[in-house]
Amino acid sequence: MALLSIRNVFKSYFLHGKRIDILRAVSLDIHAGELISMVGASGAGKSTFLHVLGTLDAPAAGEVLFEGRSVFSMNDAEIAEFRNRTIGFVFQSHYLLPEFTALENVAMPALIQRRERAGAYTYARELLERVGLGSRVDHRPGELSGGEAQRVALARALVLKPAVLLADEPTGNLDPTTGEGIHQLLRDVNRDLGITAVIVTHNETLARSMPRRLRLAGGQVSEA
Amino acid sequence: MHPAERQTDYRWPLLWAGALVALVGAALLGVAISESEAWAEVAGALGLSLVGWGGLVQSFDAGALALGPNPAGAIAGPKMLVAGTLVWLAGWGLVAAGIRRAPASTEGPSPAAGSTLYPRLARYRDFYWSTLGAYGGGILLAELVMLLLQTVLSSGGPSELGGVTPREPGGGASLAPTLAFAIALVLGAGVAFASGFVGASRAQRLSLPEATIGVFYLGLPIPILLSLMERVPSLQLALGYRLREVTYVAGLLGRPELGYWLVFAALVLALVLGINTGFIAAGSGRVDLRLGFELFVARRHVAVFRPSLLLGALAVLMFGIIPPLIIYFIIRGAEAAVERTRVKSLGLADPLAAAAAQHRMKLHEQSPTMMMTALSVGGVGVGVMALIIVLSVMSGFEADLQQKILGTNAHAVVSKYAGELPEYSKVMEQVKRVPGVVGQTPFIINQVMIASEGNVDGVIIKGIDPHSVGSVTDLPQNILPGGDLGHLEQPGKILPSRAVEDDEDAKPKDEEDPIIGKASAPAKPTVLPGIIVGRELAASLRVVVGDRVNVVSPLGTELSPSGPIPKSRAFRVAGVFYSGMYEYDSKFVYILLKEAQDFFNVKGATGIELKVADIDDARRISNQVVRVLGGYPYRARDWGEMNKNLFSALRLEKLVMGIILSIIIIVAAGLIVATVIMLVLEKRKEISVLKALGVPDGGIVKIFLAEGLQIGVAGGLLGLFSGLAWCLFIEKVGIKLDPEVYYIPALPVRIEPVQTALAVVIAVLVTYLASIYPALKASSVEPVEGLKAE
Repeated sequence: MALLSIRNVFKSYFLHGKRIDILRAVSLDIHAGELISMVGASGAGKSTFLHVLGTLDAPAAGEVLFEGRSVFSMNDAEIAEFRNRTIGFVFQSHYLLPEFTALENVAMPALIQRRERAGAYTYARELLERVGLGSRVDHRPGELSGGEAQRVALARALVLKPAVLLADEPTGNLDPTTGEGIHQLLRDVNRDLGITAVIVTHNETLARSMPRRLRLAGGQVSEA
Repeated sequence: MHPAERQTDYRWPLLWAGALVALVGAALLGVAISESEAWAEVAGALGLSLVGWGGLVQSFDAGALALGPNPAGAIAGPKMLVAGTLVWLAGWGLVAAGIRRAPASTEGPSPAAGSTLYPRLARYRDFYWSTLGAYGGGILLAELVMLLLQTVLSSGGPSELGGVTPREPGGGASLAPTLAFAIALVLGAGVAFASGFVGASRAQRLSLPEATIGVFYLGLPIPILLSLMERVPSLQLALGYRLREVTYVAGLLGRPELGYWLVFAALVLALVLGINTGFIAAGSGRVDLRLGFELFVARRHVAVFRPSLLLGALAVLMFGIIPPLIIYFIIRGAEAAVERTRVKSLGLADPLAAAAAQHRMKLHEQSPTMMMTALSVGGVGVGVMALIIVLSVMSGFEADLQQKILGTNAHAVVSKYAGELPEYSKVMEQVKRVPGVVGQTPFIINQVMIASEGNVDGVIIKGIDPHSVGSVTDLPQNILPGGDLGHLEQPGKILPSRAVEDDEDAKPKDEEDPIIGKASAPAKPTVLPGIIVGRELAASLRVVVGDRVNVVSPLGTELSPSGPIPKSRAFRVAGVFYSGMYEYDSKFVYILLKEAQDFFNVKGATGIELKVADIDDARRISNQVVRVLGGYPYRARDWGEMNKNLFSALRLEKLVMGIILSIIIIVAAGLIVATVIMLVLEKRKEISVLKALGVPDGGIVKIFLAEGLQIGVAGGLLGLFSGLAWCLFIEKVGIKLDPEVYYIPALPVRIEPVQTALAVVIAVLVTYLASIYPALKASSVEPVEGLKAE
C-alpha cells in the first residue's frame, strides 16, 4: 500500500472572480522511503500541491490518503496531530519563530506534542549538532545566517522523525554552495532515517539527481 | 466581488426602507399593546405557567382571551393595532422585495462536478438543535435553580415555592438572605456555565444563533415576569408570596427590577464564558484543557511579567503619570549618555566591540507592541485601582453610617402588630433563649414637644431601662462627660446648673398661693426626673446638664379648669449624648421607662429592642424570635427593614458607581483588544508556522487568550496593589473632610475583601472576554495565507 496517495484532487483559486484551476483531478501514489523531486513553472501550483499533501490546505474535491486513511475526514485536532507527527515541513524561507532560540525552535514540534521538555531539548541538541550547528543552540533566528537558519528549520522538521518530509524550494533563497549543503542533508536524511521526502525545486540539476521526478503543468502531475 | 460569484442580490435602499418601516410598525404595535394594558390581562396567567411550568395550556387560554372577543376597554386603540400590524408587515414585504436570487452562472459545470466533496464541508451543519437545547435549557435551568435555592435556603422548605402548606417552623435551611443569594448565584452561574460548555463542545463551535435564540426565548421570560410582578397587581397576588425571598433580596437594592436584570446579566455572562470555554477546550474535536505549551508561547510573545514593565506601571498607578515619566526619561537619558561614552571609549580601542555594544543597545529599544502592552496593563490597573478605592470609600461611608445607626438603634425590634406589650418581661424571658440574641431591652417610644427657656422642638422620646439599654445600643458610651445615664434613676444626684438654681429659687414663689399667701409646698426643692438629650438638641434648646426642660405630649390630655390641656412634665437634663448622626443627636431624648409608663399611660412597654451577634443575620434571627413567640400578634423587624430606604439607596449608589467605574475597565479592555489584534497581525506568519507544525486551532486560540489574560492578570494585580496601597494611605494618613458639610472628620475607608477580589475578578473576566475575538481571529488565519506572505 502506498504511504501517501492522492485521489482525484481538485483545487482552484479565485482571482478577480475568475476560477483558476490549479490542480485538476490529480492522482498519485507515494511509497515509503521514496525521494521525489517536483519541478514546474512558477505559479503552476507546486506549493499548493505540497500544501494539500501536507494537509495545510484543503482540496475542493478529492481525497488524500495516508496509509489508506482519508486525512481530511479527520477533525481539526486530529489533522493537526497528524501534521505534527507525520509531516515535516521545510519552506523556502526558514520560518523559525523569532522569539525562541534555535534549540527551542527545533524542539517546538515535540513541545506541541507536550513531550517532556528536557528530553525534547536533548534530542534537539543532537539534531542541531548533526546539521553542524552545535555551537549556535542558544542563538535566536535573527542572529543566524540564511543557511544556518535553513539548517535549523530542517532539524525542526526532523525532530519527531516524521514519515514524510515536504520541502518547498528549501534552497531557493540560498547561494549554490550553501544550497548544495542542504541538498546533501536532505539526501542523508532520506537514506539514513528512511524518511520519505518530496522536494519541490527550480534547480534542474538537483531534480535530475533524485530517484523519482515529477513535473506539474496544466494542473496535472506527470512522471518526468 | 464579481456578480457571477453571488447567489443573492441585495437592493440595499429597499432593505433599509423596509427595516425602517418594520421598525415603525413594531413601535406602533408596542404602543398599542401597552396602551391597551393587555399585559395586565395576560401576564398573570402567563407568569403562572412559566414559573410552575404546569399549565402551558393556561397561557394559551390567556392568549386566546387577550386576542379573542376582547372587552372593549382592553384594547383601547384597535385601529392602532391594525395599523401597526399592517405597517410591520409592509416593512417585511419591502425587505423581501429587496432580496432576490441572482441569475444562475452561465458557465457550465466545472471539471470536478460529481467527484467527492471535501469531507469537512460535507459534514457541515448550520444549526444544532441539541446546542440550542443546552443553551436555552441551561439559562432557564440556571434561573429556576436560583429562584428555588434562594427560597429554599433562606426561608426553609421548598414547599413554600410550591404553595402547599408551609412546613413547620425551623424546618429546612434558613441562611441569611445574602448568603443564600451568594450560594444561589454561584450555583446558578455554574449551571449556566456548564450548559454553555456542553452546548459549545457538542457543536464544536460558538453557535451564536443558538445562543441568541436560547437566551431570548428561554432566558428572558423569567426576568420579564419578575419585573412585571412589580407592576401588575394580579401577578403580585399570584406569585408575590411564593417568591418573597427573591423579592426581598432584589429589594435590597431599592429597585428589585434592577436586581433581577443584573442577576440575569450575570447568568448570561456565565453562559457566554461557558460557551467560550467549551469551544476553546473542545472546538477542535476533543476536550483538551492542557495549557503548558500555550503559556510557553504566549509568555514569549508578550513579556508582561517583566520587572521593569510591572514596576513602571505600578509607579504610574501610585504616583500619577507625569512624575514617573519625568524620572524615567531622566534615568534613560543619563543611562544612554553613559552608555554612549562607554561605547566611544570602547570603540577607540576596538571599533568592532563598539559595534556589538551598539547592537545590544538597539535590542533594548521597545517595540510598539510592547508599548501597547504596557498601556493595556496600565489601563486595566487604573480601572481596578479606581474601582477598589471608590468602592472602599463608599463602603467606609456605609459602615460609618451603619455603625452610627446601629449604635443608637437596635438590630431588631419585637413588638405587637397593634397595642402595647404589657407582658414584656415574659416575652424577654422567651426571647433570651433564641440563639444569636445577645442583648435586649424594653422601650417605650413616642413623639413629644420639648421646651426649654430658650427654644421649642419636636422630638422622639424613648423610655429606656438604663440597666439593659447598654446591652443593645451604645448609648452609655455616647454620653458626653458631665452627664451620667445612672442619674436617670437617681435624679437627686443631678447637679442643677447655675441658671437652674436661680430658677429653682424663684420657683417656690411661683407656686405660692396668691390667695392664701402661703407656700403650698415646703421649701424642700422638688426632685425632677432626669432626661438625656442629644448634643445638637441641647445646642438648639440652649441647655446643659442640670437644666430644666418641659416635655409636652399632644396625645395625653389632662383636665384643667379651662378644659383639657396637653400633658406636660418637667425634666432635668441628666446627660447629653453624641452619636455622630445629626438626625439622632437632634431628634432623640431618653427618659426612664417607668417615667414614660406614667407619662404616656402605657402598660409595660411599646416593644423590645434586640441586639444580635451577627448583624447580617438579623433578619433570620428576628424571624426566629417571632416563631418562638408563636407568631401573631408578635412581630419583629430588623434594622435593614427599618432603615430600608437609606441602605438600599446606599447600595444602589455603590452599584451604580461600580458599574460606571467598570466602564474604565471596559475601555482598558478595548486597549487589550487592540493590542492583541496588533499581536495577531504581527504574528500572522508565526501562527501559520505553528499550525504547520501541528498546533490545532484550539491551541492558537489558547495562546492568544493567554496573551490577553496575562495583560488582564498583570493589570488586575497591579490595580489591586495600588488600590490597596491608596486605601491604606487614606486610612492611615487620612483625608480631611469639611466639618461644615460632613459629620465625620476624615474620609472613611473600609476594605471589603469580597468586593476587592470581585474588582480583580471582573477585570480578569473582562480581559478574557476582550481577548476572545482577537484569539478567534488568530485561529482563523489560514496556514497557507501566512506562509505565502513573504
